[in-house]
Amino acid sequence: MSAAERTQAVDGIRPRRTAGKAVVAVAVLLLLAAAPLVLGAYPVSTMTRILAFAVLVLSVDLLTGVTGLPTLGQAAYFGAGAYTAALVGIHLTSDASVQLLAGLVAGLVTAALTGWVAVRARGVVFLMLTLAIGESVHQVADTWSVVGASNGLAGMPPITLFGGPPLLAAGFVYWWVLAAAVVVFAAVALVVRSPYGRTLRGIRDNEARMRALGYRPALARYGVFCLAGAVAGTGGALWAAHARFVSPGDLGFEVAALALLSVVIGGAGSLWGPCLGAALVLLVRDNLSAAVGGHGPLVLGLVFVAVVFLLPRGVAGLAAGIRRRKEGLS
Amino acid sequence: MTPLLELRGLTRAYGSLTAVSGVDLSVLPGERHALIGPNGAGKSTLFATVAGTLPATAGTVLFDGADVTALPEAKRARRGLLRTYQHSSVFLGCSVLDNVALAVQRVHRVAHRFDRAARRFRRTEAEALRHLESVGLAGRGADPAAALSHGERRQLEVAMVLAAEPSLVMFDEPTAGMSAAETERFAALVERLPSELTLLIVEHDLDVVFRLADRVTVLHLGQVLASGTAEQIRADDAVRAAYLGSARTDDLFTGGTP
Ligand SMILES: Nc1ncnc2c1ncn2[C@@H]1O[C@H](COP(=O)(O)OP(=O)(O)OP(=O)(O)O)[C@@H](O)[C@H]1O
Ligand SMILES: [Mg+2]
Repeated sequence: MSAAERTQAVDGIRPRRTAGKAVVAVAVLLLLAAAPLVLGAYPVSTMTRILAFAVLVLSVDLLTGVTGLPTLGQAAYFGAGAYTAALVGIHLTSDASVQLLAGLVAGLVTAALTGWVAVRARGVVFLMLTLAIGESVHQVADTWSVVGASNGLAGMPPITLFGGPPLLAAGFVYWWVLAAAVVVFAAVALVVRSPYGRTLRGIRDNEARMRALGYRPALARYGVFCLAGAVAGTGGALWAAHARFVSPGDLGFEVAALALLSVVIGGAGSLWGPCLGAALVLLVRDNLSAAVGGHGPLVLGLVFVAVVFLLPRGVAGLAAGIRRRKEGLS
Repeated sequence: MTPLLELRGLTRAYGSLTAVSGVDLSVLPGERHALIGPNGAGKSTLFATVAGTLPATAGTVLFDGADVTALPEAKRARRGLLRTYQHSSVFLGCSVLDNVALAVQRVHRVAHRFDRAARRFRRTEAEALRHLESVGLAGRGADPAAALSHGERRQLEVAMVLAAEPSLVMFDEPTAGMSAAETERFAALVERLPSELTLLIVEHDLDVVFRLADRVTVLHLGQVLASGTAEQIRADDAVRAAYLGSARTDDLFTGGTP
């Protein structure tokens, strides 16, 4: 086969695969959008929380999967977004889009202030620095009376949209959170496909080579750290819009660890895989835990061990393997 | 003519071992300069010190008339001072096209753009493809770099470094691990490169050395043993002595293939 023929063959596969992906994406979106029409308030509320948590998980994936920086600090920016959105809700406006924007900016600014030191390190040192950042922010939330200290921040009124009435029904809040999460997902997907996303993957794979090509990896890493902070802050605002209550537990170590776990289970670097991981992790923690006598963490631990041994590239890696096998056969 | 690259007393020590010791070297613009020497002579260390991967212990690196000794590696690369590695160093988790596009998008100043998908930067994509074609990897753009053979990875490195629009390229044993056909393709590619591009090549395959190089410098135990045209080097007694006992002696003086 000549080089030109090969290129054509590769290009020939692409449109079909892209079309297939688009069909799946639309089907998933329709199913998600239809959920409140068929499900009760409780499952819808669970799905709302999963969506908000999935946005946090996307931010962890941006750092861990795309840039190769495993992090335990994203819950801090998630919390910054959640607290800010709740404060805006209590003191300024119930408009959800303003709260969302406030949460985004809070996550971005907090990450920008704390990230410059962290991005100088990589690997385990980076992990420990992000852990320290997470614990410090958690300490602040736990002791600062303005945000309710260890009692948390309650009394946030229901959100409104575009000057309409308060959204009291779980379904309406869900639709708002779904719409926002889809926009964030699309934005992150665009970043991953952009030249900047390529730069980040280059840093993940071979930082020394990037420097030899004239790149300044620390700068690019700082950029993605701020970006991930903004994404996590957005997730926090969505979380607050649904829960209308924020407590220090929402930005604790457990949340950070579960977010990282979701990325590992779903497949670091893929975007939809970690979202599935987020759903699995939250379901096990909040819904399955009671059924197994409160041993949710144990189940998660077993799932984690099983994934590491059976699916080193997570759920997304499994799917890619099946696709490759099919193509090999056809 | 002022040299493009000038080393003055360049020294690099690893602890008590002085791998490069007081090297003086001038490379004129457009020159094709080969650096040869037995294993452990300090050739790779010299490259790393010139590129800025390793700091110099003493001495000066002048590039394009400016003292770059204190500049970090990335800044030297931005000025057009590029290198390849003796052991392939590519982005294994990225596609073959991405590897080359990383070099191109930095030159095109779009490496931090995130508002559009990468494939919509047509000029960058086309340029990356052109460089892939020039090393014979046109059909492999969509494959992961990890799927390339050892020789193909060497070719990919050549494409990457040329895509970074260098004014000086230092190739560290570019043909090591290439098949005979790949080596021939590499030599032909180098011969086709624009004549203003300056090359410094470490190469053990002396056929390639004498085919490509205008000048040859011999490094031995970290020091310059001889420097001159290919004929001068072949006739040099000190070079002959340094290579004595090495399996490559015959290649150097008869031009045979190892
Ligand atoms: N990182 C290092 N730490 C300590 N010593 C080193 C290091 N790298 C190289 N050396 C030593 O420095 C000397 C020069 O090594 P260098 O790799 O520069 O030689 P070379 O001419 O490139 O050899 P080759 O032909 O085998 O590639 C050798 O004695 C080597 O053992
Ligand atoms: Mg070497």
